[in-house]
Parts: sequence; C-alpha cells; structure tokens
Amino acid sequence: MNETTTTKEPKILILATLSGGYAGADYVGQQHLNYTTNTSILPVRCPSMFSTEFYIQAFEKGIDGIIVMYSGTDSPFKGGPERTAVMVDQTYKKMGELGINIKRLKLAAICTVCKKPFLKQVNEMNKTLNEIGFVQDELADQGKDK
Amino acid sequence: MDENKLKADALVVGGGIAGMQSALDLADQGYQVILVEKEPSIGGKMIMLSKVFPTLDCASCITTPKMSAVANNKNIRILSYSEIQSVQKNGSGFIANVLKKPRFVVEETCTGCRLCEYACPVDIPNPFDLNIGAIRAVRVPFSTAVPQIAVLDMDNCILCGKCARACPVDSIDFLQTEKEVEIEVDTLIIATGFETTPIDAKKEYGNGKLHNVIDGLIMERLLAPTGPYARVIRPGDGKEPESIAYVQCAGSRDETLGVPYCSRICCMYAIKQAMLIAGSLPMADITIYYMDIRTFGKGYEQFYQNAQAMGIEFVKGKVAKISEDENQNPVVRVELIDENSQIIERTHDMIVLSVGMSPKYNPSQVYGVNVDEFGFVKSPTPNLSSTKTNQPGIFATGASTGPMDIVDSINSASAAASSAASYLESVRNGK
Amino acid sequence: MTEKTNPKPEETKIGVYVCYCGGNISDVVDVEKVAEKMREHPNVTIARTDMSMCSDAGQSIVENDIKELGLTRVVIGACAPSLHEHTFRGTVARGGLNPYYFHHVGLREQDSWVHSNNPGGATEKAVRLMYAGIAKANLLKPLDMIKLKAERHALVIGGGVAGLRAAYDIAGRGINVTLIEKTPFLGGRMAQLETVFPTGNNAREDLHSLINEVRTHPLITIHTLSELVNIRGYIGNYDVQIRSQSRGVSGDNAEAALAACTQEVPDDFNYGLTKRKVVYRAYEGCFPSTPAVDWEHYDGKPIEIDGQKVIFENKKKTFDLRIGAIVIATGFQPYEPPRGDYGYDELPEVVTLPQFIRYMGLRDGNVGELTWKGHPVRDIAAIHCVGSRHLAGVHEPQPDGILNNYCSRVCCTATLHQVNELLDEYPNINVYDFYEDIRTYGLEHESYYTEASKNMVRFLRFHGDQRPEVAAAPEGDTHPVLVKGKDYLTNGLEIEVPVDLVILAVGMVPRPVDDLVDMMKIPKGDDRFLLEVHPKLRPVETPVPGIVLAGTAQSPMNIQESCNAASAAAAKVSVLLASGQVELDPFVAKVDLDKCTGTGDCIEVCEYEDAIVLETMTVEGNEVQRAVVTPANCSGCGNCVSACPHHAIDVQGWEVAHYEAMVDAITMEVEL
Ligand SMILES: Cc1cc2nc3c(=O)[nH]c(=O)nc-3n(C[C@H](O)[C@H](O)[C@H](O)COP(=O)(O)OP(=O)(O)OC[C@H]3O[C@@H](n4cnc5c(N)ncnc54)[C@H](O)[C@@H]3O)c2cc1C
Ligand SMILES: Cc1cc2nc3c(=O)[nH]c(=O)nc-3n(C[C@H](O)[C@H](O)[C@H](O)COP(=O)(O)OP(=O)(O)OC[C@H]3O[C@@H](n4cnc5c(N)ncnc54)[C@H](O)[C@@H]3O)c2cc1C
Ligand code: SF4
Ligand code: SF4
Ligand code: SF4
Ligand code: SF4
Repeated sequence: MNETTTTKEPKILILATLSGGYAGADYVGQQHLNYTTNTSILPVRCPSMFSTEFYIQAFEKGIDGIIVMYSGTDSPFKGGPERTAVMVDQTYKKMGELGINIKRLKLAAICTVCKKPFLKQVNEMNKTLNEIGFVQDELADQGKDK
Repeated sequence: MDENKLKADALVVGGGIAGMQSALDLADQGYQVILVEKEPSIGGKMIMLSKVFPTLDCASCITTPKMSAVANNKNIRILSYSEIQSVQKNGSGFIANVLKKPRFVVEETCTGCRLCEYACPVDIPNPFDLNIGAIRAVRVPFSTAVPQIAVLDMDNCILCGKCARACPVDSIDFLQTEKEVEIEVDTLIIATGFETTPIDAKKEYGNGKLHNVIDGLIMERLLAPTGPYARVIRPGDGKEPESIAYVQCAGSRDETLGVPYCSRICCMYAIKQAMLIAGSLPMADITIYYMDIRTFGKGYEQFYQNAQAMGIEFVKGKVAKISEDENQNPVVRVELIDENSQIIERTHDMIVLSVGMSPKYNPSQVYGVNVDEFGFVKSPTPNLSSTKTNQPGIFATGASTGPMDIVDSINSASAAASSAASYLESVRNGK
Repeated sequence: MTEKTNPKPEETKIGVYVCYCGGNISDVVDVEKVAEKMREHPNVTIARTDMSMCSDAGQSIVENDIKELGLTRVVIGACAPSLHEHTFRGTVARGGLNPYYFHHVGLREQDSWVHSNNPGGATEKAVRLMYAGIAKANLLKPLDMIKLKAERHALVIGGGVAGLRAAYDIAGRGINVTLIEKTPFLGGRMAQLETVFPTGNNAREDLHSLINEVRTHPLITIHTLSELVNIRGYIGNYDVQIRSQSRGVSGDNAEAALAACTQEVPDDFNYGLTKRKVVYRAYEGCFPSTPAVDWEHYDGKPIEIDGQKVIFENKKKTFDLRIGAIVIATGFQPYEPPRGDYGYDELPEVVTLPQFIRYMGLRDGNVGELTWKGHPVRDIAAIHCVGSRHLAGVHEPQPDGILNNYCSRVCCTATLHQVNELLDEYPNINVYDFYEDIRTYGLEHESYYTEASKNMVRFLRFHGDQRPEVAAAPEGDTHPVLVKGKDYLTNGLEIEVPVDLVILAVGMVPRPVDDLVDMMKIPKGDDRFLLEVHPKLRPVETPVPGIVLAGTAQSPMNIQESCNAASAAAAKVSVLLASGQVELDPFVAKVDLDKCTGTGDCIEVCEYEDAIVLETMTVEGNEVQRAVVTPANCSGCGNCVSACPHHAIDVQGWEVAHYEAMVDAITMEVEL
C-alpha cells in the first residue's frame, strides 16, 4: 500500500488487562473524561500471551501504535508481568531489525483507578504518532531502501 | 401443585431493590423464595429513577438486570399485583394469606406483545410517570416491566372490547376476579420501601399548587430517558427552564410536618439532578438552597466537590416561602445565612422540592412487628442486627426500616437475607 | 456440547445487538447507524437496537432470536463487560446456546462516555469495535464451566464488630469459620467507645453479647495475635498460612505476671492518655480474659513471679488452612493530625474525639466538676472535619500523597452525642461547635443535633477553605487556648473563643493493610479504603473471587452500617460456599496435542505449581512427551502461550487467533 494521504488518523491498539488497564479505561469512562476515538481497547487477561510475531503482524496490518496496559505489580498473575516485559523487549529488537520505530510499542502499568496515567499514555502515543507518521509509510520506506 | 396453596422457605414482601436483593441472596443459597409485590411490576422506586449517584449509572441499567435475574432465578417465584392480607404463626414458621388482584389479563398466556395497548382508545395519566404523561387503560406497565404482562385498569376501562379483539392469544378476561393464595413459609422479610413526603404538605411552599414547583421524584422522571418528555421542561407551560432551584429539606427535618428526621438521600439526589440538568441544559443556572449538605457516603463528598466545580451554586439559606409571579415563575423568599441573614427574593423558572422519605406501608397490624412513631420498622438491636424485628423469623430491610439510599439498601437487604438464612438453619437443626 | 457442533466461521449466524443504554450510549453514538453497518456483515443474521438490552424485555429478544432464527453466536454492544457480560451469558444460555458463544463489546465506558466531544468518531469507533467483536465471535468455541469442590470454611480477618458479625452469620449458615485477630483481644474500636448512638447503649455490653455468641459457636474458631502471612489458590480452595504469636503468659501464671510486671508503656487502648504494663488486658472484661505480653514493647528483662525470675518468650507458630472464602474486616484508625495542626500534640488542651471519649470513660464515679490536667473545664470547643473533607489546592495532601477529601460519616453524630452526654452531666459547661455542615443523616441522628441546640451548644459555621485555628492564649488569659475563625452564621464575623479544652472530631482512615493488599491482589480506592467491584451491583465484593469486604476497611461507617455490610459479606460467602461447590470460568490453557511436540518451553515459563506438566503418552505406537494442563491449577495467564514454538497452546476463550482476527477488523477502513 502506498497511501500518503494524511486525512486518516493513526490507529492505536490498546491491549488492556482486565485487572488493570481495561478497568482503568472503564474508570476513565465513569469520570466522563475525553480522549481520542482512534483508540481500540481490547481486553486481555495478561499480555504475556502475545509473542513478538503477534505485535509485528499487527504493525504490518496497519496498527500505528500499540499500548500494552498491563497490571504491573498489581497483576493477579504470577510471573505474568515479567514475561510480558520479556516479550515486549524481544519485540523491540525485532522492530529495530525491521525498521519499525520502537516508539510505536509502549508498555505501561495502568491500575483500575489510574485515570491520569491512562490519558497520559493515550495522549503521548498520539503525539508520537503525529511526529513519526503512519506505520505503513515506514514499512513502505523500508521496502524502498532494500 | 395446587395454585391456591404455595410452600416455600422464605417470603419476601416488596419487590424494590431491597426486596429483590434479599430474594436473590436467599435463592442463590438454594432456598425457595416467593416474592410478593403489590404493583403489577417489580422494581420499586429505583426503576423510576434517571441516573443514580454516586456513579451516575443509568438506574435502569442497574435495576433491570436485577429484575431479570429475579425473574429468571429458578428458586424465586414472583407474585405481582398481590398483597398480604394476614399472617399467622405456624410453629416456627408462618402462613400468609395473599390476595392476587385481577389484572383482567390471563398471566399464563399473555406474551406482553402490547397489541391490546395499541388498540385501547382510553388514555389515562401514567402512574409510572407520576401521572404526567399518558398511558392506555390496558398496557404493559412500562417497557422494562417484570413480568412483561399487561394489566387492565378496570376503573377507566369503557369495556369497548377493542383490546380483546386485538389480543392474538385471547388473554383479555373482563370477568377475572381476585384470587386468594395461601403461602406457607419458614421466614419472612419485609421490604415494603418508602413513599416520598408529600409535596402539598407545606403551606409556605404553596401546598403543591404552584405551577412550576415540582418534587424530586418528578424531576427523576423528567430526566429519565424513558420519561414522559425525555427532557426537562416546565410542567406549567412546557418551556425549557433557564433557572432552576432546589429547596433542600423540603419535607424533612421539619417538626411542623411531623418529619423531624433527615431523609438522607435528598442532598445527594439534588446534586445528582443538578449535574444531570447542567449536562442537558448547559446554559441553565442551577441553585441549591440548603441548610447542611449531607454528602456522607463513599465517594459522595467528592461528588459534591465536583458539582461545585461544575458551577452549580450552593446557597446556604432557609427558604421561608415560595410564591409565584404573574408569569407563573416561582419566587423564593430566602434568608441568606452566609450574607448576614439578609432576606431576599429570587425568581426562578422552576423549583424542585427535595422531598424526603417516609414509610410506604405500616406492617405493624399484619405482621405484629414494632414500628417507630413514623411507621418505620424498628429493630430491637439497631446497631448489631438492624434487620431483626421483635418477631422471631420476621426481618425487615431497605427503606421500610428508615431512609436509605440504594447502596445502603442493598447491604441491608443482603444482611436481612443472612439473618433469614441463619434463622432457617437454626429452626431446621432444631436449635 | 462438543466441538462437532461448532460451525465453521463462514457458516455462523450472528445476532448483533446495540444498546441505547437509556441514552448513555445513544446520546453520543448513532446507535441505529451502527446497527445498519452491522447488517452489511456477511455473518450477521440480525442486528437490532434496544433501549436497554439488559432488561428482561431486551434479554427476551435475544433468547427469541436464538430460538427462532437459529443464531449460533451473539454479540452485544452495551455498557462495560464487567457489569453485564455475566448477565448476557445467562441470556444466551437460556436461548439454548453455549454461554461462551457470546461476546460483549463495551460501548459506554470506553466509547460514548469518553467521546462525547466527537459523536461521529464515537460512532465510527463503535462500528470498529463491534466488527472486532464479530470477528472474535466467529472463532469462539463452546466451553463448560469448571466445577470445583469448595471448602466449606471461611476465614475472617479482623475481630472488630464487623468481623465478629460476619463470622457469626457465616457460621449461622452452617459453614465453618476461622476468625483471626491481630491484637491479643477481640472487639476492635467499638470496645474503646462508651455509650453509642443511636441506642445510648454501652458499647462494650453490646459488643460482649456478640462476642459471647461468637466464642460459644461450635463452628467458629478464634485465633488472637494472628495474622495471614501467605495465601495461594483460588476461590473455594485457598491455602492460607497463619502466623500466631503466643500470649507469653498462661492461665497459671497470668494473674501473677500481670501483678508483678513493672515495665510501662503508653496505653494504646486509651490513645496514649494513660500508661499500662507490658503484660496487660486491653480493658477489664475483655475477651480473651487472659492477659498478654505486648511483644512490641516488652524489653525482654526478667520479671519476678512468686520468687522466680521469668523471661517471657514469644513462641510464634504458623499453621495452614484450606479456606473457601475470605472476609476482610480490618477496620479503621482515627485520623491523627500532624503535630501542630490545630495545636495537636503541642498544646496539652487539644485532644481528639476518641481520646476525649476515653477520658470520659476513665473517670471513676461521679465527679462534681470536669477537669482537664487539673484545671476545671468551663468552655469547650469542638472542631469538625479534622482530617476529612480536605480540598484540593487548599489543603496539603497527607504524607502518602493522598488528599483526605472524603467525609468520615460518623464524626458529626459522634461529636454531638458526646457533647450532649457531657452537658447532661455538666450543664454549666459552654460548648462551641465549629462545623461546616452538620451531617446527622441517620433516622435517629438528627435528634442529637436538635438536642444539642436545645442544650445551648453554640454552633459556629466555617467554610471548608477557612478552617478555625487553635493557638495558646497569651500568658495570664482567663483560658489556656484560643480558637479563632470566621463564623458564617454571623456574616463571616471574625471570632475568637477562649476555651479550656479543644476536641478535634477526627475522621477515619483505614488500618494499614498493604501486606494483605499485596498478598491478595485486591484494589484500594483513591481514598486508600479497600475498593468494591461496584457500589450497587456488588457492594461488598472485591474483584478477586471469594474475597469480600466487611465494615470500615471499606469506607467510614457507623456500627449499624458496619454490621449490615458484614452480614452482607456473610451472605455472599454463604452463596459461594453453601453448596460446597464453585464454578469457575473455563479460561485456562489448553494444549493442542496434534501440534505439541513436547519441547517443555511452556513448563519453563509457568509459575503455577502443577498447572502444566509433561506426560508420557503413546501416539501412533510411539511413546512421546506431551504437555498436559490441570485446569484447577492453571491461572489462565497465558505465559505458556507465547512460549510455545509451535503455537500449540491457547487460553480457552482468549485465543491468539481471536486477537489476530480482531486486529484485522480494526485495521479495516470503515465508511459510515
Ligand atoms: C427523587 C429520588 C431520587 C433518588 N435517587 C437516588 C440515587 O441517585 N441513588 C441512590 O442510591 N438512591 C436514590 N434514591 C433512593 C432510592 O430510591 C431508595 O434507596 C431505594 O429505592 C429503596 O429501595 P427499597 O427497595 O427499600 O424501597 P422501594 O423502592 O420503595 O421498593 C418497595 C417495594 O415494595 C412494594 N410494596 C410496598 N408496600 C407493599 C405491600 N404492602 N405489599 C407488597 N409490596 C409492597 C412497592 O410497590 C415497591 O415495589 C432516590 C430517591 C428519590 C425519592
Ligand atoms: C470517635 C468515634 C466515635 C464513634 N462512635 C460511634 C457511635 O456512637 N455509634 C456508632 O454506631 N458508631 C460509632 N463509631 C464508629 C464505630 O467505631 C465503627 O463503625 C466500628 O468500630 C467499626 O468496626 P470494624 O469492625 O469495621 O473495625 P475495627 O473496630 O477497627 O476492627 C478491626 C479489627 O481488625 C483487626 N485487624 C486489623 N488488621 C488486621 C490484620 N491484618 N489481621 C488481623 N486482624 C486485623 C484490628 O485489630 C481490629 O480488632 C465511632 C467511631 C469513632 C472514631
Ligand atoms: S393481553 Fe394480549 S394483547 Fe395485551 S399484551 Fe398480553 S398478549 Fe398482548
Ligand atoms: S439529606 Fe439533605 S436535603 Fe435531605 S433531609 Fe437530609 S439534609 Fe435535608
Ligand atoms: S461526619 Fe461531619 S465532622 Fe465528620 S467529616 Fe463528615 S461533615 Fe465532617
Ligand atoms: S496459562 Fe499460565 S498458569 Fe496456565 S499453564 Fe499456562 S503458564 Fe501455567
């Protein structure tokens, strides 16, 4: 795809744990705070299930930014947060190899009442994406380089 | 089973949020429960509300699933449109005689399709909307009613027979009569709830005769998405109000009205309504005249602080009198306590009286339970076991035991279920 | 139901429902438009909207559609799944489908409520999320709940009035209870009160009636000086470890030890107003009546008992229990003002309300005149909301960074109750009551306010951002202390009230329970109190199944409210454990034996004992190693999923393929 029009918005995928980020997002809703609509929040039990392959595929499909909102030390799952961090680190390496800006992937601990951190993450990702542009363009550029 | 004689472990009287919660907590422990509700649908006052403090969830969103859970629980049987006539002791248990009022609709076959309602030519004031809107003489009481069965108001029916012809399953029965049902149970929970204090009680506030003075419950209906107009307008002339004032403690904390106690919910519901109005009429000025703001519950003070930040005006003052000007605009005469007790008059487009709570029903005769001077069921041990009554095996919960908001009613209801379950176990183990 | 009945994704017949949520969603999202877009999807058999899907009527529509249209999957867009996913699973099951053939999409908290400024975008997002939901629904498999035996045994943590009430009610339902109390004595804060509102009863007499019922109940075991130190497992089957300290003295030498002990420390029962021995009883008549050694303060020196030198020894022991459910009733502590605030801890004439209650309780007999530190008390000031109702930008947050912006609920009535009792006894004392709002909200509470007014208590009203100040009076003044402030009952007049005693109506803060919070993974709210799932739907439950809250550990409450909450907690425990069986969501790992080659990578990363192991089995005549999951031990975390090189493992109901399909749907361009 060689689309360069920028009328479309960057797409942000948020993988949010039921015990943390997803509940936090619900809390932000209960407080009626606003953020951008280019966000798709998917509930996860623990993001430790996602392999590097999953993240890379998502970027290749056109997700411009991924925020993994896990529960950090509040996770109900033993070893889950640690494993998530390992997988995200591995993914950063792979992204580097593929020329995908690693700022597109963010791991953040969000608790059930973390309204400010939640908004901060979404706003920062939007800011980053506005600076670095669409992932498809980045991948297309890579294609040209090679 | 003989439908005139029923047997269960527990009988819950009143299908408001408290009664429903007690019934569910008992049924989920495996006890058989019969829930008797005087109205054609369960749901109580809560199903009439718009959104509820402090979470601002829509009231239906919390109530309807509970109603549905009650209806779908295999251990609960609902007897709607029914009232308990008498209760006799039966060993350690009870026998209750219940009168099932005629719906003039066959419960077993009615599907709730509403064709009768559409066919009926008679419009009557809608009791669910506190008689503001209109509804037909035969109707499903409201869209989320449980059970979804029509009811015919014989007092207003002109016997034209249109509904009977419209009904696809022949469920209209003009000759239906009341039925008596005898229920044998081991324990009983009273959850008959509350009534708002009357809007017409206070002479100084116009005895309910002023055009644009309403009470808090009507405002709930105006704010509710299911309400009569689905927006806030003046009842007098249908105009959108630009200035709305709340008068707190209108009907509570007032010895002259015989209601010296604080009704506990009206501060919070007034603030809630003010916030909702500010959302739907962003240009409107909203004032709350109060003596003390009593936002004591979990998250409530923060709710109050949010309302202040939203620009809702809180005025500490005693409203001495409400009258109306030539345009039917209500005029309050208020002593501004924060400003040297000067007395001023202010005109608003609409006034909401934050009416309080009094008991709906006095159960002392039928159940032999002690009530206080106002008619609230009185516990012999209010601190340690507030749902107990002086009658072993009979418990009371929710607003029938005193003013209470939903959170407190639900806890009280679960507490009553706990005490009733302990009672059931103790009589079964012959303790 | 077997996998065979699972239609291929392209053959599914999906029913899609979009809820107005009584305006909550439809005020922002164009719900009809969303439904219209859904109808374009090839797998969607029907797409409908409804005012409230969760109502009985709304649910009936779904049930009927399943039956009449032969739907094989249901997707509902409504409020947060945490509220009604469970409700709708039931609906789908009643319609005759496997309850896990349902997917819930949150369109309220995560769409309409956060995008009120952008209705178009919100509608587009709703369509996107719903398409993602459909993509997942297409791949769902039928699942059965995991049924596990539940231990009919509850653990109650905290022996205050709430814990006692909960224990008694659970036992009343025929379930075993172990109650653990950290201190040597039962009763908690209620034991420190004298008469209580609204009954006027003596607190300890009421408390003892409950304690007697609890301690004589055959199904209740009490452990004082005991704490939870470890917990594993899950609802119905928690393995807990409890550590108990010994009392140090036993029946034989207890009285002698108490008499002989000479080491003294401030008495925390009297909030430091008096001293007590390190071998002590909290108060006369306490339970257990055997004294205990205060290990924290005991200096380890020998004490001479009956001519023998005895050194007390803390024989700690730990023991394990298998528990089905847990009630947390760890209570509150009175707010302690920082030194100097309102003169606290600097001026001897400034006390907190709980201290004052102890002081009044400690006086023996009828004393003609009330004195404080030897001086007669003629004038008293009471100041409300100390440590409560703080305002952002006006008050400093507490040292932990949290602003005490909540109302503590009991202090108004408790203060007026004390003041009235005081004036009954000493009608000549003048009381000045500094308040912002008087919150005597309960049915019988307002009468304390009216009575105080009749008793000529002088009420002075401050504004929350201008609280009164307390200072020492100049040398030679008639009174030792001055309370200064503005009285808004008299037009903000600057006033200065000379008094002999200042009572601070301090609020409540929860007792520190960070160890429990960490161990059990339960959340705290913005106000540090333990947080319920939802104040109306599940007011005493935590998000961790089988762990419930009782009393002031959750929020400020009076005794009645604490007991109601405790009984409610008991009801929830009874619901869970009455049948001796619990049902769990089947969201556990599942190995595809066709793909597994027995590498064991999954076992490496799994942190749960015996959740996944390699077993030897025979495949086509060959002995091979394959991973096998024990559902009861698997947490469903999915660590193993990303570890398997062959994609042979998935968490049921939350498969990687679901997410891939959802990402496909999200990245699809939607035109409205
Ligand atoms: C204007 C207003 C706004 C409010 N807003 C909120 C809010 O935002 N948040 C909140 O938490 N609380 C709010 N409340 C309070 C809330 O309505 C009550 O806490 C709650 O409804 C009490 O529930 P209940 O079941 O005890 O009583 P009810 O809701 O009164 O239910 C009692 C039931 O018993 C039935 N019944 C009565 N007598 C008999 C009989 N003899 N036989 C059989 N059945 C009988 C009644 O028909 C009714 O169905 C508000 C109240 C008002 C007036
Ligand atoms: C000044 C004042 C006056 C009051 N007056 C009245 C009144 O007149 N009427 C009224 O109704 N209410 C009154 N109250 C409120 C009343 O005191 C409380 O509602 C009640 O005591 C709360 O009981 P609880 O069981 O929740 O907490 P607590 O009494 O605090 O009990 C908690 C128990 O848990 C134990 N514990 C804590 N952590 C652990 C742990 N980790 N492991 C094991 N055990 C643990 C504690 O040692 C304690 O025994 C007053 C409160 C105050 C501050
Ligand atoms: S009475 Fe007949 S027409 Fe009326 S709702 Fe019932 S089934 Fe429909
Ligand atoms: S809750 Fe508020 S408005 Fe209602 S009676 Fe009490 S003080 Fe008055
Ligand atoms: S109960 Fe009264 S004194 Fe206590 S925090 Fe609330 S308003 Fe202040
Ligand atoms: S899902 Fe988690 S607990 Fe279950 S087997 Fe896999 S790694 Fe172990």
